[in-house]
Amino acid sequence: MADAIEGGTEGDDGAPADATTSGDREHRDSRSLRGRLERRALVALAAATVGLLLVVFYYPVATVFVDSVLVEGRLTARVFFDILSDPFYFGEPARLLAGDSLASVVEGLLSPDRRLGIVGFTAYQAALSTVASVALGLPAAYLLARFEFPGRRTLRSLTILPFVLPSIMVAVGFVATFGQRGTLNAVLGAFGLGPVDLLFTLEAVVVAHAFYNAPLVARVTTAAWESVDASAVETARSLGASPLRAFRDVVAPQLVPSVLMGAALTFVFTFSTFPIVLALGGFQLATVEVFVYRLIRDLEYAEAAALALIELGISLGLLYAYLRYEARHTVRSRGIRPLPRRPLVPSSPSLRALLLRVGLAGYAVVALAVFVAPIASMILASVSGPEGATLAHYRFLVERQTTGASFQVRPWDAVRNSLLFGVASLAVALPMGVVVAVLTTRDYRGRKLVDAAAMAPLAVSGIVVGLGLLRGLVFGVEVGGTRLAVGGAVAIVAAHAVAGYPFVVRTVAPGLDGVDRTLVESARALGAPRVRALVDVELPLVWPAVVAGAAFAFAISIGEFSATVVLASGTSQFTMPVAIERFIGRRLGPATAMGVVLLVVTTVSFLLIDRLGGEDVGF
Amino acid sequence: MDRRRFLSAAGATVAASFAGCAGLGGSGETSTGEPGTGETGTGETPTGTTTGDAGGDPTLVVGTYSSLVDSPSTSPGAWLKERFEAEFDARLVWQTPSNELNHYVERRTAGVDIEADAYVGLNTDDLVRVDQNLDEPLFAEAGDVAGRDDVKPGLQFDPRGRAIPYDTGYISLVFDGTSVTAPETFDGLLNEEFAGDLITPNPAGTATGRAFLLHTIKQFGADGYLDYWSDLQDNDVRVLGSWSDAYSAWSGGEAPMVVSYSTDQVYADRNDADLQKHRIRFLNDQGYANPEGMAIFEGASNPDLAREFLGFVLRPEVQGEIAVRNVQFPATTTAELPGDYAELAQEPPEPVTFTYDELKGSVSGWVEDWERQYASN
Repeated sequence: MADAIEGGTEGDDGAPADATTSGDREHRDSRSLRGRLERRALVALAAATVGLLLVVFYYPVATVFVDSVLVEGRLTARVFFDILSDPFYFGEPARLLAGDSLASVVEGLLSPDRRLGIVGFTAYQAALSTVASVALGLPAAYLLARFEFPGRRTLRSLTILPFVLPSIMVAVGFVATFGQRGTLNAVLGAFGLGPVDLLFTLEAVVVAHAFYNAPLVARVTTAAWESVDASAVETARSLGASPLRAFRDVVAPQLVPSVLMGAALTFVFTFSTFPIVLALGGFQLATVEVFVYRLIRDLEYAEAAALALIELGISLGLLYAYLRYEARHTVRSRGIRPLPRRPLVPSSPSLRALLLRVGLAGYAVVALAVFVAPIASMILASVSGPEGATLAHYRFLVERQTTGASFQVRPWDAVRNSLLFGVASLAVALPMGVVVAVLTTRDYRGRKLVDAAAMAPLAVSGIVVGLGLLRGLVFGVEVGGTRLAVGGAVAIVAAHAVAGYPFVVRTVAPGLDGVDRTLVESARALGAPRVRALVDVELPLVWPAVVAGAAFAFAISIGEFSATVVLASGTSQFTMPVAIERFIGRRLGPATAMGVVLLVVTTVSFLLIDRLGGEDVGF
Repeated sequence: MDRRRFLSAAGATVAASFAGCAGLGGSGETSTGEPGTGETGTGETPTGTTTGDAGGDPTLVVGTYSSLVDSPSTSPGAWLKERFEAEFDARLVWQTPSNELNHYVERRTAGVDIEADAYVGLNTDDLVRVDQNLDEPLFAEAGDVAGRDDVKPGLQFDPRGRAIPYDTGYISLVFDGTSVTAPETFDGLLNEEFAGDLITPNPAGTATGRAFLLHTIKQFGADGYLDYWSDLQDNDVRVLGSWSDAYSAWSGGEAPMVVSYSTDQVYADRNDADLQKHRIRFLNDQGYANPEGMAIFEGASNPDLAREFLGFVLRPEVQGEIAVRNVQFPATTTAELPGDYAELAQEPPEPVTFTYDELKGSVSGWVEDWERQYASN
């Protein structure tokens, strides 16, 4: 096992630690019930996780996907072939399947009037969105991880706020900010500039995608940056490395995997984007998911399922490529003393320090425009009516709460449900995520395939999940004359946990993989069962990642829509995003007021999660 | 009015539930769910539903789209429930699955019981889709429904007598008269002066947008509509997502014209908005009629009560009230409308629409061809 300490590549982690358990120790443990439970805890948790995934995710989704290969009772690959060979979907490469030569396809791709096809275009806009998200996310991570200023922790906890906002709210905020009569043009006008027409373009869609995903990049990178061991940097510096060199050789290698993870997830999310593209771009920018949605709406299930499977395949392929990379670039660390933060106002003014601050100020202006202005516009919209400022929209919420009928969504009930589902699904998603992280950081053939499959809930089309849950859970299966069906609160919590747990895996696994094996070995040698070593030794070492994963899992639950509406056993189980959707009317006031409620509730929740998670817990 | 077929993913309600164990949602009637379980008026029956102690009263479960019962601006649902229950000594339970009519199609396909007795809010396009995708019947013939003969003949859209229209909307342009005067014809929309001036909801994914697409097919024929759309696209028409996406972008001043409904001024008036900013234009003096119907499910457990409900909806005073609350036009010739309703809610000089038989076998191809032309990358 000794080589595991130095090892940095896949394959030399040594055998799973359990294998080294000596019979002697086992005997000692088994005397206490607790010891027995703890030894089996990991296995039991793993089994429960797999079971839950099968029931709440893989089986339901399979009930939809099967439509792509089973047409009128016959097994066929025809549907896939038709899509893959259709230039409308696959552009020039589709001609390969139609029998055209590779040369003519390449020629077509190089020509100025090449066709990307819907799939190609979807990948293209996702790639642009990923670049924009990384570009906007990295400076935020730098600021949050390396500088000290009042409100830093609060800002860090709130970075992922955009993540929970329903697309309708983001659309409202963006129109009010970047529209022809928006805030930006008002500001430009004050300087005698503009007006600029930004909406209903690819650029608007890309910026909106960055609004959602740059926070993701920022959050995971911040967590990685905060886990960088200061002593390693100090050693490099003491050996004569310049600050830049120390960053390049010591810090950067530890950040790159996280940045790439943020990028990979951003690509996956924006690859399956749907409402925001149509709200801020238009149908000329239609993505794969737009067609999946339309086909399902029109009950054309075979084509919809095939298209959604292709979409999933591309996303999982990319995630798999990332996971292979991650496995080869595990960062080993032992003991953590975070890098000291610098004050935002430099103690000794030098040109370098000054330029840095000017750069950060420039970034702050951009961030203000992209992140803060749309949210501020939403809040403003919630207190605006045709005749100026009004509280009428909030009065509507109060009225609906007090006099709403049973079949109508009541705001407080929605808030309460969102919080209950959020906390409950967090409690399920955290152990699920940690267990899967443990399983996929062990060494066995194909573990990255398992890891990629475990990420599938992130990548499957939302409408397919909704339809699958309806068929698989709500309708259930008939067993011996009785119909076994699942719905209601427990099912919602399970579905939310399944949707959120991949974030826990992704944030926790890299750190776990990097934990010095000797620490775990020592704990085991002293008689600690595997789960004890995990809870007492490994998790504290990767705590910032656990908190980040928890925040994401909670955020996913708060923002979840499609599974909730399907599984709810009635209006009384609806959540805040569903309430927002229901309150959309001729005027968007009531919906935006509910959106602000969501904003406030989520803000408080994130602050609490961060405070409970603690800054330096466990060391 | 916004059909909101857009954000939805899949159905909503389910009887078998673990809600109890989780201490959420609890027992008893919790809204749209758990119909037909025999629980009546227990627990948290809120104000607005005057079920009283309806011990042995029969229950009528009616499926519909959510904005009919739960939208801030348009929801006759609560009023209908109250009136119907008071008069018929029955309980009315609204069911609003998120994927609306498709929810019931799914149930029938899967061989799972449909708990609803009737559905309110299907249009011609829906009926065509249902009939093409289901081998077994979803709806039964309506049979002897009081007031059925009062329905305007032009609105009848089901040749098989299952769906009975209860209201209709007319798709038209709504424009801000303070910044533009909308053209009077389809061809006028192609003028350069209107470049970038029109927003429409997505014809592929929304009922409103689809009605507009069908109107262009009515106008230019199945051979000519794609050319028209090509010109429209060249003139920078904006095809956005949901009706709400389009209407809110228009309200925000992104373009002065939007494809919406000819009752727009009714809303504007209710909100004390400037009517000049909410003007209506019927292109070529036509409005595309989008009648909404109601039908009784095949195998409904309470078909007689369902028939009573359909007849109740067709009554003159109920027709008037639904039209006002849903901001649509009544389906019957006998509806009692407030005198000033016609001033704000405008009817086109010439209503046009496709019949069931014309849509059947054609509509999916028309939509797909349009998609492929418009979104070609």
